[in-house]
Amino acid sequence: MARDTTALSRRDVLKASGAAGAAGLTGLAGCAGIGGGGSSEYPALGNYPVEGDEVVFGFNVPQSGSYSQEGADELRGYNLAKEHLNNGGGWVDDWDGLTGDGVLGKTVASVEGDTATDPDTARQSATRMINRDNAIMITGGSSSGVAIAVQELCQEEKVQFQCCITHSNDTTGGSCVRYSFREMFNAYMTGQALAPVLAEEYGEGLNFYQLYADYSWGQTQQASMEQFFTEVGNWSQIESVPTPLGTSDYSSYLSDVPRDETDVLVLNHYGLDAANSLPQAIEAGLDQDMEIVVPLYNRLMAEAASDSIGGIFGTADWNWQLEDDASQSFVEFYREEHNRAPSYGARIAYTQTLQYAAAVERAETFYAPEVIRELEGHEYSGAGLGNETMRGCDHQAQRDVLVMQGADPSEQTEDLLLNIVSQTPRDDLGYACDAGPAAECELGDYGDE
Amino acid sequence: MSGDRSGDTNEAVPDGGTVTEEAAGGSGGSALAGLRERDDFVVIATAAALVVFPFLLIDVLGVVGEVIGISIGGYTGLPSLVLIYGIIVIGFNLLLGYTGLLSFGHAAFFGSAAYSAALFSQVVPSPILMVIAGTIVATLLAWPIGFVSIRRSGVYFAVLTLTFGQALYFWALGPGAWLTGGDNGFSGIEAHGLFVGVIPLDAQLIPVFDSYTVMYAFTSVVMLAALWVGNRIINSPYGLIFEALGENEERVEFVGLNVFRYKLMAFIISAVFAGVGGAMFVIHEQYIHPTTGLYWIQSGDFVIMTVLGGTGSLIGPVFGALVFEYVANVISGVSLPMIGSIGSLWRFVLGAVFVFIVWVFPRGIYGAFADLAAMVNGRGGGDGDKPAAADGGERE
Repeated sequence: MARDTTALSRRDVLKASGAAGAAGLTGLAGCAGIGGGGSSEYPALGNYPVEGDEVVFGFNVPQSGSYSQEGADELRGYNLAKEHLNNGGGWVDDWDGLTGDGVLGKTVASVEGDTATDPDTARQSATRMINRDNAIMITGGSSSGVAIAVQELCQEEKVQFQCCITHSNDTTGGSCVRYSFREMFNAYMTGQALAPVLAEEYGEGLNFYQLYADYSWGQTQQASMEQFFTEVGNWSQIESVPTPLGTSDYSSYLSDVPRDETDVLVLNHYGLDAANSLPQAIEAGLDQDMEIVVPLYNRLMAEAASDSIGGIFGTADWNWQLEDDASQSFVEFYREEHNRAPSYGARIAYTQTLQYAAAVERAETFYAPEVIRELEGHEYSGAGLGNETMRGCDHQAQRDVLVMQGADPSEQTEDLLLNIVSQTPRDDLGYACDAGPAAECELGDYGDE
Repeated sequence: MSGDRSGDTNEAVPDGGTVTEEAAGGSGGSALAGLRERDDFVVIATAAALVVFPFLLIDVLGVVGEVIGISIGGYTGLPSLVLIYGIIVIGFNLLLGYTGLLSFGHAAFFGSAAYSAALFSQVVPSPILMVIAGTIVATLLAWPIGFVSIRRSGVYFAVLTLTFGQALYFWALGPGAWLTGGDNGFSGIEAHGLFVGVIPLDAQLIPVFDSYTVMYAFTSVVMLAALWVGNRIINSPYGLIFEALGENEERVEFVGLNVFRYKLMAFIISAVFAGVGGAMFVIHEQYIHPTTGLYWIQSGDFVIMTVLGGTGSLIGPVFGALVFEYVANVISGVSLPMIGSIGSLWRFVLGAVFVFIVWVFPRGIYGAFADLAAMVNGRGGGDGDKPAAADGGERE
């Protein structure tokens, strides 16, 4: 609701009417000048056209709630991207189309919002960015629930959304939208990358038992684990048990795990939840009787559970230890600014922002349908993970996935908590446009049909 | 929590939403005539306030913001959002401020109405019918919840309502996910516009000021209706009994009235308001999620809004809703030159405002206005302070 359907917004009127402040009649007089401006080769749509010397990006991250630490690191990534877009430096110098002089000659400005890791708060914050601040692109989120909620809003408002941390299959599956793109991999790809490594490491024909966080991400996560562990390793599932999101005491769930039957325990928890469940599982001595797997690692969890993660397998979006040039330069300039290695949240934030800016430069306009067409099917490298494709049919990046193993507590440092076991190439991952999560995806309209 | 409103009864306060109490206290034909007059006055004055409200919130604050370089202006959806919460807390205050019952589960009615309206929209995408459908569900739900909860008082009542609310929350998130969309939220809501979709809700009423949308007008009308109904209730003999219940339950019982029945009715009436608000919310947001609709923090927010605005008057809580939503949606996005982004500190800011208001003006923001008006009207400053001190919200 409350979307800005006209080319003429309040800000334009106020600017046009100048300091006089009498926004009424003088504003109308200024109307013809704005609407007929030479810049508008396309009809007004969402917050297009962009007026003035600045273009506004909306950085909508969790600054409170259970994922706030990740939000803070995302924000660092975003601000680096903004700085580099405006002044050059970082990957901006290496990427085609980016000039280091803003985007299409306009200085990049930003507004920030707090999603509170809550979908509706995130939507209200995004609404403010779109309606009041005229943001041309919204990015952020650190929860699949938030990403799905905000991307639906952006589809309605015809404003671009660049996903940050969101790992649920639904984001580019059943809930996908035309106006949203995802650089991060998903639960399905985690299953594809992790299952062969585990089958090799632990053997075939084992029994596994799952606990999962009972929400969008956890549900698709456990379903993908079940599928691939069963297919790849010929394992069989004993049971899969939901735990409420935000549980702090997992002892009753853990005590239900049948110790003599279970070979592998899969903890499909993220963030604080994982930081609680994993140490509790170790404390209960489950690691003596079985192997434990945490499918999706993140730094918050690795730090909080640092004593427990030794030897435990999982996947990650990206890691600072990667040796390619792009990764190394990102680590370097991030470290210069913030004095420690970036988490993968910062890389996604940085990458997603540059991807959008580069697409705008290629399209030579901020007009969203053209920018979207530039991103669809775009092949790129230089984002730290080798060659990637932003697939057109579901807006899911096809890229490599890292399988990680927790470092032994004795060798851990502030930055080094996980070791890279393998980088599964994208050709071994993914799924066709009519298979897996993509089969459920209907992207919706461009807005210029 | 019973606000004794005698402090502002004798003053003709030149404020939009003032509800004076003469008729409630008085009796006879002249008082009835006074009631009618006041009804009109309340509705007309509020309508006038509603006309300028978006202009002040968005355009004036927007210009001020551009001058001082900090974005403090609202956005187009905000005025409607404030009014929607305003509708809810008017009803909530009937329960808390007048009847003296602190419910911690009103999110149940808000959320169930929101989900019902959302589901209903899949069949009939009419905003007005969505509101009706949502409200009916909330009302039907309030009856059994009230029936059980009212049997206990004080903290037990609060916890019982909280429990029912949380039960619904977990249901919507887990077992009911097939219906509610679970953690992915419920979107795809089809509210086509008023009058069989002829007038889209996001159309602008006045070309230049995009703050005046059809949605805002629609919300304003519902707000006025809610206010009118609320005013009729508290100025009726029925409402007097609510008030008496808040003052002293035992005495009401000794008079021979069925306390349980009146308390249940107060509970249901407040749930109706929450239901209307919930359905309006889903029309406005086009999205509903269990955390917003049903989580206990939402109920807590209603309490905070009500107490912040002032429980002692009908319109008071609406000011609370305004401050709450303004801090949550605008201040949270402000970046200050020295301090940086407010971001997640918005609840801290809200807490500071809350402590300040409750400390200095125990009757809330409305009480502060009333005292100010009393001072302007020639009463001495000391006198003006007196009602506030004498009937603080903390008196039980």
